Amino acid sequence: MEPLTETKWDAVISGTGLKHSLLALALSRSNKKILHVDQNKYYGDAEAAFSLQEVDEWVEKVGGETPEHFRNASLWKTTSESSNESEKLSFSRAYTLTLSPQIIYTRSKLLSQLVTSKVYRQLEFQAVGNWWILAENTLNRLPNGREDIFQDKTIDNRSKRGLMKFLKFVVDYENQTELWQPHVDSSLAGFLSSQFQFPTNLQNVICALTLSLETPEATKVNWSLPRISRHLTSIGVFGPGFGAVLPKWGGGADISQVACRAGAVGGGIYILGTGVRESTPSSEDTDGLTQVHLTNEDVVKTRHLIQPLQTQSTNAKVVSKIIAVVSSSLTSLFKNTVEGSPLAAVSVIVFPVGTVDVEGASQNTPIYIMAHSNETGECPPGQCVLYATMLQSERSHELLDVAVDAFLATLEDKPSLLYKLYYEQQAEAESSETSLDLAFNDSILDDVESMWRIVMGEEADQAMFMRFEDREGMNNDDDEIDEGY
Amino acid sequence: MAEATAPKPSSSVKLVLLGEAAVGKSSLVLRFVNNDFQENKEPTIGAAFLTQKCNLPTRTIKFEIWDTAGQERFASLAPMYYRNAQSALVVYDLTKPTSLIKAKHWVAELQRQASPGIVIALVGNKLDLTNETSSSNPLGEDGDGEAAEGEDADGDARKISTAEAKSYAEEEGLLFFETSAKLGTNVTEVFTAIANAIPETSLKGARGPGASQASAGRTEDQSRVNLTGPRDNASKEGCGC
Repeated sequence: MEPLTETKWDAVISGTGLKHSLLALALSRSNKKILHVDQNKYYGDAEAAFSLQEVDEWVEKVGGETPEHFRNASLWKTTSESSNESEKLSFSRAYTLTLSPQIIYTRSKLLSQLVTSKVYRQLEFQAVGNWWILAENTLNRLPNGREDIFQDKTIDNRSKRGLMKFLKFVVDYENQTELWQPHVDSSLAGFLSSQFQFPTNLQNVICALTLSLETPEATKVNWSLPRISRHLTSIGVFGPGFGAVLPKWGGGADISQVACRAGAVGGGIYILGTGVRESTPSSEDTDGLTQVHLTNEDVVKTRHLIQPLQTQSTNAKVVSKIIAVVSSSLTSLFKNTVEGSPLAAVSVIVFPVGTVDVEGASQNTPIYIMAHSNETGECPPGQCVLYATMLQSERSHELLDVAVDAFLATLEDKPSLLYKLYYEQQAEAESSETSLDLAFNDSILDDVESMWRIVMGEEADQAMFMRFEDREGMNNDDDEIDEGY
Repeated sequence: MAEATAPKPSSSVKLVLLGEAAVGKSSLVLRFVNNDFQENKEPTIGAAFLTQKCNLPTRTIKFEIWDTAGQERFASLAPMYYRNAQSALVVYDLTKPTSLIKAKHWVAELQRQASPGIVIALVGNKLDLTNETSSSNPLGEDGDGEAAEGEDADGDARKISTAEAKSYAEEEGLLFFETSAKLGTNVTEVFTAIANAIPETSLKGARGPGASQASAGRTEDQSRVNLTGPRDNASKEGCGC
């Protein structure tokens, strides 16, 4: 077989995070020679998923050169040796804890591209069903569409009218610019208050739908309206009662694995534990090829080198995160409320500003907890995984701890914590914060497409982007065809 | 909705193919999927993905076969393939002792990293290079006449005894077969044995650690979302792809 160093690669892709894995998928039928490397010994980069043992190894490394973008990781485990299986940690591989629990709205282009590229067959999607807001030590379900609002007894009639008026406006906001253009730079909360006379609790409900990590003052109208509209118009696309999905077995981590596999089936060569040390731009001496020095001492030649953004600025946004395993299946959280809807595997719990505090510090930005049931395959039955996020600040670690405790205290069966991983994640760049978004951000796909165009050059035909036929050998895929023997 | 003949329940099973280069991994799959064999087959570039159904008396198993072919030198494909895999075929060449050592490494790695409960089959391939092929019994439906012609094998190239590999397989709790992809000997049997060994609880689209422990009464599909059409229309005709 041809050695790596003698091949003229069409592209060397560095990193197997979601974006670069999707690029590998996009190029998987191009007949281009692709070398895909990752400096880590695992797939997924900043979107990886780990067993407990792999988390241990990851925590050791955080703060070093790799993995990039992560810092201040710390880990706590219960020492419980309870005879009740759900009250203690199971074995390492019973868990798949993901760095990438982003929910994917049903109208996201990502889903349609996973379908047209045929890799959706190797993924299993589950519903992100119930949304909750924590107020005064109780969990309240967020209304899930108009019918819910009518039936909601906690909302008075005047507010109901305002809410209906707002919902009608927001799904059509693009055609009603006169209503919001004058307020583009206002805060969403202020806009809701001045234009729709919303009391604070209703402002919180609407703000929650944006999944904004910023203070209410910094959550602007022009940023918020498309997100609220997306939330509302996504409900019902793939079935009643939910507007977002998440792949089983670790969310974005599973997508990046499936996408890399497609790249490998398409002929791409994969090397883990090997990164790009440096590159020498093309010159006449190198036949117009870029020389890439790999960390395994190989020097390879390529037409294109695709690397992650290298401009890790200290000003890029940072979030604090907790991944916690709890000793309950939290059944009440995932219960169906809409007839015919799938059982939710993920629920979202929102803590508006001021919900929790610690001595000497109040909660100035929202906190979000994504609760994943054991149906996600991320933990054993009888347990759940919580993914808590807030903007990083001096006290954010403590605030997140308190928020997780406050959430558990609202639950009847008073589950206990079995495992808690804290870490901080920095955005890939000051200009690009898509990696921190709690919902998959479609602008990632624009980046994938532009990288794909660069590698494809003149062969790039937009109509072909992520559109593939089933591979040979898949022709007997249709389960409904009885082959009669 | 009722059909004339009620189809048997059908489940997908992910199978990874591991083993040293040139032991005949791709040839085994080619024999199983297409009942075909290529002499002097080129090394597989990249990787391959194939599917094939295996009909059991009570159910149909659809194998999704992931061939890590050609990339063993980087050991980089295996992790993404055996993640959530329910079965693995670890192949060695029974005329090449080093290939069994490599196979043992793969078995150890699978036991360490793959889903608990993964069904592993150890397969010694190239039985046609020994002079024992006549004693084997190729599957009837695979028989295309070639098999009986008999290789003009003037010597026995076997370097790994059946007893040695078999006792290792027994120690590790592996299924064990000796096959000839070239002649078709035992190939279908391997896949049928794997299909039979997959526990019911890990079927129904469920994979991996959580699934095998899920309480029996719970259907995994309760939380499944179909992306190719609204759930309500997702009847037999509704798969719009």
